[in-house]
Amino acid sequence: MNNTASTPTAEPPLLEASAISKRFAGLRAVGGEDGLSFAVSRGSFVGLIGPNGAGKSTTFNLISGVLASDSGAVTFDGHDITNAASDTIAELGIGRTFQTPRAFESLSVLDNVVSGATSPGERLRAAFGRAWRTHESVTVDAAKRTLDRVGLTGRADDLVSDLSGGELRMLEVARQLVRNPVMLLLDEPTSGVDPVLQKRLAALLAELHREGMTLVVVEHNLHFLLALAEHILVLTHGELLTEGPPTEIRTDAAVISAYLGDDYAA
Amino acid sequence: MNWLQIFVTVVTLGSIFGVVTLSLNLQYARGGMINFGIVAYFAVGAYAYAIFTQPAPQGLDQYKFGFGWPWPVALVAAATAALLFAAITGWPTLRLRGEYLALTTFAFAEVFHSFLLNERRIGNGTVGLANVKRPISDWGPIEEKYVFAGAAALLMIATLLVFRRLLRSPYGRALDAIRDDEVAALAAGKSVQRMRRQVFLISAIPIGAAGGLYAMFTTLAQPSLFTAEVTFIIWIALVLGGERSVYGAVAGTFGLIFFEEVVRTWPFETVRSAQIAASVEHIVTGLLFIAVLRYQPFDRIAERMKATR
Amino acid sequence: MLFLQFLTTGVVTGCFLILATIGFSLTRRVEGFLNIAHAELLGVSAFATWWLNAEMGWHVVLASTAAIVFTSVTGLFVARLIYDPIRERGPAVLLITSTGVAFVIGGVIDALIGTGIRTLDIGLATSYEPFGIRITNYQLMVVALAVIVSVSLALFLNRTRTGLAIRAMSGNPELAASRGIDVRTTSRATWLLSSGLAGLAGVMLAVLATLTTDLPFAQILQVLAVAILAGLGSLYAVILSGLIVGIAMDVSVYWIPAGYRPLVAFSVVILVLLFRPEGLAGTRAA
Repeated sequence: MNNTASTPTAEPPLLEASAISKRFAGLRAVGGEDGLSFAVSRGSFVGLIGPNGAGKSTTFNLISGVLASDSGAVTFDGHDITNAASDTIAELGIGRTFQTPRAFESLSVLDNVVSGATSPGERLRAAFGRAWRTHESVTVDAAKRTLDRVGLTGRADDLVSDLSGGELRMLEVARQLVRNPVMLLLDEPTSGVDPVLQKRLAALLAELHREGMTLVVVEHNLHFLLALAEHILVLTHGELLTEGPPTEIRTDAAVISAYLGDDYAA
Repeated sequence: MNWLQIFVTVVTLGSIFGVVTLSLNLQYARGGMINFGIVAYFAVGAYAYAIFTQPAPQGLDQYKFGFGWPWPVALVAAATAALLFAAITGWPTLRLRGEYLALTTFAFAEVFHSFLLNERRIGNGTVGLANVKRPISDWGPIEEKYVFAGAAALLMIATLLVFRRLLRSPYGRALDAIRDDEVAALAAGKSVQRMRRQVFLISAIPIGAAGGLYAMFTTLAQPSLFTAEVTFIIWIALVLGGERSVYGAVAGTFGLIFFEEVVRTWPFETVRSAQIAASVEHIVTGLLFIAVLRYQPFDRIAERMKATR
Repeated sequence: MLFLQFLTTGVVTGCFLILATIGFSLTRRVEGFLNIAHAELLGVSAFATWWLNAEMGWHVVLASTAAIVFTSVTGLFVARLIYDPIRERGPAVLLITSTGVAFVIGGVIDALIGTGIRTLDIGLATSYEPFGIRITNYQLMVVALAVIVSVSLALFLNRTRTGLAIRAMSGNPELAASRGIDVRTTSRATWLLSSGLAGLAGVMLAVLATLTTDLPFAQILQVLAVAILAGLGSLYAVILSGLIVGIAMDVSVYWIPAGYRPLVAFSVVILVLLFRPEGLAGTRAA
């Protein structure tokens, strides 16, 4: 089991999970005997792969605060976020999208992105003043630019129900992007997305990576992922099977056999 | 049928209860919290007002507290008492969701009701506190009851304006986001815990003031006035007016109170037929409630309006 | 000595609560929501029994049987007419709707019966005094019925096809459907059974208490307490919870004024929901 960081750098990893684990009704979803441990370096593009039920989404949930880890610790950017709440973790700079895309149904597409940002205009006191209007226009501008970036220009006034599955995923990405996260966790972003949109997403992710954002992407679509990521973590049965650069992983016998029976044999 | 009197009563009671419906609108339709015990906050306001204005106990009085304060101060005290009650009951219950929150608020309200019935020292038991101070004064040529109706309407309008302001701001939008998808809202950095608590506390303040006005109006603070039935009346008013809008909350309340008043004051031949009419009124409103919940006419209309834009 | 007396009445109350709550728990597990109108079904049965017995002169056994059947059918009717069409709206909306249904049924009872106290035309209770503790024949009947119903229900749920289907559905309706269980028929059977049980409890209410039109609704609070304490678990959890709540309520009179008896039930609700929402049974709802 290889637990070292992806590229040998002097600086400490941005995200570090040490011996985390989670049990559901007696069944262990994440973490082997010693728990799950891995690290993500600042500015890297990491892929998280594994067969269904390997615990990938659960790991995301443990990092982003949706679930509390039964053991171990998670540190991000020097902060201990092991038992922190989701909103605190989001404010620290971790963004995430979900396996099934989530959206605010009663808000328009634009408002969905606007509400993604944490604006001082949202505080209770601000509601009774005039200052929030200035905050609003700043946020609305940022939201519109983000919509352009994900390819949803012109859909600003549409309802969430008007969007296709793929567009919904892009909306979720936009909602996280407007927050300028330090690290973005994406859970199966290409699932249900048509090839044209996938190309666009790949270009966007490459661009974000170039700009210095740290990305961790869970994917079953290995063609998509192995072309973009620098480092791959392979999860099976909640434990880290192996990790390494894409070229090694795609020929690794253990990884291929873990996927045997799946349609996605590398 | 004295339509003028009915009109005055509807404006007065409609405004007082309308305030409670507005608060429920904020808590449920925007905040996503199902409060099945809202009558308790109303009762706290009423009893607080009564206790603060009544003279100190003497002779055969069973209650222990009476401060004899002037009524404006007591109204503020009523609002504050409701706020405190919300803070106390909110702390454990706001961690819960959906039906569990509904049941806990329901249980708290029943505990309070039971407490009022049994604790003679605070509320004088089933008899309640009578002769609650009502500042009787005609305002020039306008009779006192019109002044009172006006005051109640003023409270209702003020509450409506404040809530509407709140809901149209980014804070309101954040509330909508939380109600739509709490997990996604958390992932977007919204402090769900804090906002729900804020909504719960803010909405309690006008309910307390309305309770105080109610005690003034009836000159009575009695447990039988504050049963679970009041909570359900408010819910029915909310649903019938279309859960979403603040105007709907007020309209639904006025409509319901109007219906009730007409049935109540209709000159029936016998006591029995009056009772049956009251029961039929319950049945009709209950059926309307169920129908509106199922067919959601207001949402349909709103969508159709959006589509034709 | 007094304590033992309270304990005994507590067991009786507990048995009544078991009868009143089993049906409620059943629909909660199978249909997935808390049906507040369940308590009003007790009223339907109680007053139907009274009317047939005291007004129409039927023998009380015949009257109760007819009332139970009627209540059973009424429960099913309400479920098919009102609850089934909005199933997919979620448990919160169903809960809110059920309060409306309770309101309507309560209104119908009020309109038909009116105010005042009603009592059944049955003999006065005969008391026995085993070991110096007073207990009446009617109270013994409640206990006996609770035992009989519990045993029969356990057999039904474990031995018959419908019963097993009901048990399968309580865990996971989708999974049950994919295993070939006729969800619709099982759902209807559940409503009939649950409402019938409410009917039985209603008859007991009429036997033990003096009936007023607001009595049924007062029961919902105690039924909720037992159901919440039991959680989503088995029949045994309901039995245990019923006894706990019943005994707690009556024994509390030993220390605090009798007027606070209902308070015990509500406090149970609050404490359980705050500290252990999954109740005694311990299975968390999805």
